[in-house]
Amino acid sequence: MVRSRSILAAGALLLAASLGLTACGDSGSGDEGADAKTLTLWHYEGPTSAMGVAWAKAIELFKASHPGVEVKFEGKGFEQIQQNAGMILNSDSAPDILEYNKGNATAGLLSKQGLLTDLTEESEKRGWDKKLSPSLQTTTKYDGDGIMGSGKTFGVPNYGEYVMVYYNKDLFTKHKVAVPTTLAEFESAMDTFVKAGVTPLSVGGAEYPAQQIFYELALAKADRAFVDDYQLYKNKVNFQGPELTFGAQTFADWVKKGYIAKNSAGIKAEDMGVAFTQGKFPIMISGSWWYGRFASEIKNFPWGTFLFPGNTLHPGSSGNLWVVPTKSKAKKLAYDFIDITMRPEVQNLLGNNGGVPVAADAAAITDPKNKELIDNFAKISSSDGLAFYPDWPAPGYYDVMVGGVQGLINGSKTPQQMLDEVAKPYQDNLTDLGR
Amino acid sequence: MTALATAPEKQAAPAQAGVNRRRYPARFVVLIVLLILLLIVVAPLLVVALNAVKSPSDYASNGPLSIPKSLHWDGIVDFWQRVDFSRKLLNSFITSAAVSVLAVILSVLNAYALGIGRVRGRVWFLVFFLVANLLPQEVLVYPLYYLSKSLHLYDSLLSIIIIFTVIQSAFGTYLLSSVYAEFPTELLDAAAVDGAGRFRTLWRVVVPVSKPTLAVLFTFFFIWTWNEFFLPLVFLVANAHQTVPVALGVLQGEKQMDATTTSASALIGILPAILFFLLFQRTLTRGITAGAIK
Repeated sequence: MVRSRSILAAGALLLAASLGLTACGDSGSGDEGADAKTLTLWHYEGPTSAMGVAWAKAIELFKASHPGVEVKFEGKGFEQIQQNAGMILNSDSAPDILEYNKGNATAGLLSKQGLLTDLTEESEKRGWDKKLSPSLQTTTKYDGDGIMGSGKTFGVPNYGEYVMVYYNKDLFTKHKVAVPTTLAEFESAMDTFVKAGVTPLSVGGAEYPAQQIFYELALAKADRAFVDDYQLYKNKVNFQGPELTFGAQTFADWVKKGYIAKNSAGIKAEDMGVAFTQGKFPIMISGSWWYGRFASEIKNFPWGTFLFPGNTLHPGSSGNLWVVPTKSKAKKLAYDFIDITMRPEVQNLLGNNGGVPVAADAAAITDPKNKELIDNFAKISSSDGLAFYPDWPAPGYYDVMVGGVQGLINGSKTPQQMLDEVAKPYQDNLTDLGR
Repeated sequence: MTALATAPEKQAAPAQAGVNRRRYPARFVVLIVLLILLLIVVAPLLVVALNAVKSPSDYASNGPLSIPKSLHWDGIVDFWQRVDFSRKLLNSFITSAAVSVLAVILSVLNAYALGIGRVRGRVWFLVFFLVANLLPQEVLVYPLYYLSKSLHLYDSLLSIIIIFTVIQSAFGTYLLSSVYAEFPTELLDAAAVDGAGRFRTLWRVVVPVSKPTLAVLFTFFFIWTWNEFFLPLVFLVANAHQTVPVALGVLQGEKQMDATTTSASALIGILPAILFFLLFQRTLTRGITAGAIK
């Protein structure tokens, strides 16, 4: 009984503490919290990742320029924020500023529910909009239905991401393969590997990587209008049209020709990356999020990257956004913090740690590898070449895409059947939206 | 759940051995089969332990199944410091202990009324408790969220303690009621003759006699609550309030996972539950055999 009594006491204490907290929270709103003395800040990047390092620096700079303000930083799990953001931001436990996922189903949904602060005015006043290219801005703006691309600005990204081709330089030299510049060259390079008994592509078919290859192939025949139709619902998309048909057909051909192993349908993204790290495959097509990790973990061979040959459009987007909850008690401080993250010193730090900054000074990036990564991003971004990701247009579309592409890998579906299968949830979503 | 799987096996072994004492080869075969089963049960834990002490570059170049080149404790130390693990242990311990004590008390009171008191409509009560027990937690999330928010209990350990006390005692009530329904009436009659009231009968006769069963319930409630992930993830927002399983979730990134640190965290995450199981293992086995009152 002694134990349970002390627990009761602890419970009562907790109750008192939570009441006390909410009591303080109610005062001081209304003037954007200019006189707030704490800034509660959440993000879910690892402490050693490019973002983690850069944001730690930003917090330092913020403390220096805001003496007397306490920064309460909490590192969160992606899962917790992803699943519960709606509930958390609607409660008194909401932070003052947090990192949140971009996209219709996440930031769009919360903006529609009125849980996020409209940043349009701040963004213009402080010039954040001028630092972001148009395709980066797509994911920061959401309309009244929570659909990205137009409307008010609800978030600010610090970094970008895009899909590229990673290659093992040793294996390329060993098999006398040159870096391809067209799709035809790319395919003949892969033929060389197949003839030598090497499966060229490390693919994770159980998760996002395979659908990004399919989308990359569809983009080979696509233009910006197709991307706008597919992602922003500007016009109806014909799933049997030339773009997606080429994507599905070529993907199926790649499996048939042995570029993609049959067993990769069950491989996870993590295992795909580890297999490439171990030098088991010469090529891996995936996103810039691997870059920092490869830089520190690939020790046994030199590696490099190139953009998917022949494409002007690539899967990619802005990174996650800084958003300010409507319930934030220190909005002014939150804006100041976002402003600091856009400063060159923070952006350059992000770039020098293997991230893709949105507003870095290219001359300040010292590492040649990171420079290559950032230059390639600048190339895509400045030519308006970010085409977002194939699973974005509809809620739950990720699993549909995984299933569809898995069907192509293990041969249980023809390209035609696969496209019909993925078309249905897409159209259903349009109907739900009334478009 | 490994605990549950191995316990019956251990029960089975001596019985088998008794029958097969004279037939040596059969005994041997059983032993081999049991060893293989044991290995299957323990294998995932072994892989976790292997990778917990492997350096990230070792993992990257040799994969998850290789033997670590050298013992690398940084993953565990880093994780411990990064999430303030001592705090999470304390939180988990407070919630699990509070829940298991309160839920056992609540179950005893309920079951006393339903099993021994034989209140009217007890079958329907039991059906209700069973259904409550079968409801997936996802169904409960929104109602509980709004309730706890209006009571200012959202983001506090107390909310989790209350919720799990109720959830666990639903199962406890169901189980204990059937145990109490078989309670020897002679004992109850004797107590009544001696002039014991209802409360006295409960406290002096029923509880002491059913102690082994209560101990089993307590142990299960503790381990179940310790391992709960979903509701604590929703209700414990601030890092200072989080429990061990929620803290483990911090490592799962959007597109990246850190396999070695995740293993390290998994290892220190399950150690307390294993430790607790070992401590109470004898109560458990005794409780299973003594579950019904002879």
